[in-house]
Amino acid sequence: MILAPVDYLILALYFALVLGIGWKLRRKIATSGDFLTAGHSVPVWITSLAFLAANLGAQELVGMSGNGAKYGIMTAHFYWVGAVPAMLFVGIFMMPFYYGSRARSVPEYLKMRFDEKTRALNACSFAVMTIFSSGISMFALGLLLQLLFGWSFTGSVLCSAAIVLAYTFLGGLTSAIYNEVLQFFLIVVGFSPLAIMAVARAGGWKGMASHVPAVMTHSWKYMGNPSENPMGIEAFGLIAGLGFVLSFGYWCTDFLVVQRAMAADSMSAAQRTPVLAAIPKMMMPFIVIVPGIAAIALMNMHIGYALPMRNGEPDYNQAITTLMAQFYPAGMLGVGLTGLMASFMSGMAGNVTAFNTVWTYDIYQSYIRPGAPDSHYLKVGRITTVVGVALSILAAYVAGRYNSLNDLLQLVFSFVNAPLFATFLLGMFWKRATGDGAFCGLIAGTAAAALTHGLTLAEGKGGWIANFHTFSSSMAQNFWISIFAWSVCFLSTVAISLVTRPRPESELTGLVYGLTKMPRNEGAPWYKRPVPLAIGVAALLVVLNFWFA
Amino acid sequence: MLDLRYPIGWFFALIGLIVAGMGIFAPEAHATLTAANVNLYCGLFMVAFGAFFLLLAWRADRSRP
Repeated sequence: MILAPVDYLILALYFALVLGIGWKLRRKIATSGDFLTAGHSVPVWITSLAFLAANLGAQELVGMSGNGAKYGIMTAHFYWVGAVPAMLFVGIFMMPFYYGSRARSVPEYLKMRFDEKTRALNACSFAVMTIFSSGISMFALGLLLQLLFGWSFTGSVLCSAAIVLAYTFLGGLTSAIYNEVLQFFLIVVGFSPLAIMAVARAGGWKGMASHVPAVMTHSWKYMGNPSENPMGIEAFGLIAGLGFVLSFGYWCTDFLVVQRAMAADSMSAAQRTPVLAAIPKMMMPFIVIVPGIAAIALMNMHIGYALPMRNGEPDYNQAITTLMAQFYPAGMLGVGLTGLMASFMSGMAGNVTAFNTVWTYDIYQSYIRPGAPDSHYLKVGRITTVVGVALSILAAYVAGRYNSLNDLLQLVFSFVNAPLFATFLLGMFWKRATGDGAFCGLIAGTAAAALTHGLTLAEGKGGWIANFHTFSSSMAQNFWISIFAWSVCFLSTVAISLVTRPRPESELTGLVYGLTKMPRNEGAPWYKRPVPLAIGVAALLVVLNFWFA
Repeated sequence: MLDLRYPIGWFFALIGLIVAGMGIFAPEAHATLTAANVNLYCGLFMVAFGAFFLLLAWRADRSRP
């Protein structure tokens, strides 16, 4: 793919703008709170779009359109089942405790609700995972740019990392959040014309459907039996594994996204942040997954478009970029490329700012040097930004060089993450849950995940202890691992909590349901109240699922 | 505090003008799979998008005391 000077001009303007926003916001930073938590002062439309964009990395865009080309519209389950319900839940039911407790981070909430060791476990695993996921996505971007434009891997990784570093260093979380909103709009503006043109070229939705297998244009019709759909999953595993355990575990407990809602300027705004973010999230399949399906239709129409081949099968992950090359002329191509870079940067800045806060408050201030004046933590926060970016770059090279290590790490992360939501659910809604219960539950849940992986087999993966069951796909295996991990964590937390001494209720005010005054927003118009908004979003979600069933 | 609507508005209006300009001065430039003047339409859309944000920001400024 060859870029014209105008494409570079657009990219350069974008770089100048993100740096400019960071520069403009630098004067707002006076305390560590301004730098790391944005001082609870960001308007709700900004926090909600940042909530969405922080999760919208380049890997997500490229990978999900690739999945669209591979599996079809059922990939939308990752949005409609695997994200939106959890986003509504975290907004309505969990934000009162996160925001109301005035915790500065998710691990800090765990410390307030449970105890020090639960926080330490969560903070350390989160910090390591964040650095690695940032590195892995950086690696993916470097590889993509090398493949597309022949840019040097090291050059593009260092250059984009330097820009992210500059604007987060200058303006902290506020700058990251503001830029995420800009990046979100760039992604939408850069990608949606592609979706429209690709579908139109394939003859509209009907024409496109006639050129692809029927299974690719129905999201639910073939979910009854794993052998009928290319994902190899069935409705129960999908709803319980992806829709409940994995999705609630990510959207309700991952500090990367929760941090955006915590930056909102009021409780009501914090609650509305994920609810409002669910609306564009619900629509993302149309600009991400649908082009993937269109790519397959165009290929089957034999009009000169084909996905490049790799190891004997089409390289689905190139769907979005090859479509761009064949639909966008110089000019619009620059906007599309800038959208791709923007998605990468928003994902990386999300990781860096979340790592910053957890490191500075939950590890440094708690265990390394407590009791220092605030200016010291501000300085540490800034240094951590630099260190975090440097570590991500290092992780990118490690991920690239040692592929098997990379796979192993991702596997271990999934074991650690799977049980998390059980801990938070019990912590927030059962005042009898204790710190010992939570800590042991997390360990037991992680062990159960590893054990399930060791005892089952899918696509040649797992089964390193023995093989009791063979799943039809590793996606199905993954969903069931999380179901087991969650259940074990839930049951052992309950069991151990019942035999350990509960904390007195006076210490739990504001942290757990029943001992917290739930916010009421009477008098505000419906669109400024979280619950009516959430009901509206849920109704829209049901319509979408029936429409594309 | 910076009103984010201004930078968003100016940025999209500017790149919209550049892209629409490409569509006007090089209307024959199109990629392989479409004959439409993609730059012109997308550029005009981006100009309108940017102008909308500028309008919102300007209205918010005016209603502020």
